[in-house]
Amino acid sequence: MKTDILLFGQLAEQVGAKQISLEGFSDSETLIKALQQQYPVLSQSKYIVAINQEIISGNTALSDNSIVALLPPFSGG
Amino acid sequence: MKEGKLKNIFVQGSITASFIADSIQKHSSKTGIGGHSIFLGQVRTDEINGKKVAAIEYTSYEEMALQKMHEIREAIFVKYELTCMHVYHSLGKVPAGEICLFVFTSSPHRKAAIEACSELVEKIKAELPVWGAELFEDNSHQWKVNQ
Repeated sequence: MKTDILLFGQLAEQVGAKQISLEGFSDSETLIKALQQQYPVLSQSKYIVAINQEIISGNTALSDNSIVALLPPFSGG
Repeated sequence: MKEGKLKNIFVQGSITASFIADSIQKHSSKTGIGGHSIFLGQVRTDEINGKKVAAIEYTSYEEMALQKMHEIREAIFVKYELTCMHVYHSLGKVPAGEICLFVFTSSPHRKAAIEACSELVEKIKAELPVWGAELFEDNSHQWKVNQ
């Protein structure tokens, strides 16, 4: 099972990538933990999570080809 | 999943005065309109630790932003008696002093246009996945924080 992770703003800059693909994760919590291990900078950053463009709160199931986006605080306008 | 074609709001670079003027001119045929309200966001030369902001570079999660903008638009049309509503937001680099956000509402009577415009601006800033990097004159940058 594949998950695409999109990074934006300062997170993309800190991690050094705008997109990462990971295999074998079935829920958002374990995915985020794995990401934080791989990219420790994420543990110190503020962001919300969207799955397939919907902002989630709490642990959420992933399906194959889910798109998970890590969104730092918005600063448009 | 998402269906249909979402209205694009993004403009590459600054929003020009002539674009805004053309947009106003296009409403002369809509004679039921009695008032327009316009908000223009301009890139400010903030000074941070002695360094001046020369430009803001905007990026977005565009698909999500357009979907969100669609939801905001629908809700505003339900809440206020508007004839029309237009929103444009810059992507990429916008130099200080130039326009990066153009919100334009029109209604038969002024109150709806004014209140809808104001609410739209607040929602755009709080809810659209858009990020601004403040670029300084020495080519360093920091990430903008909305107040």
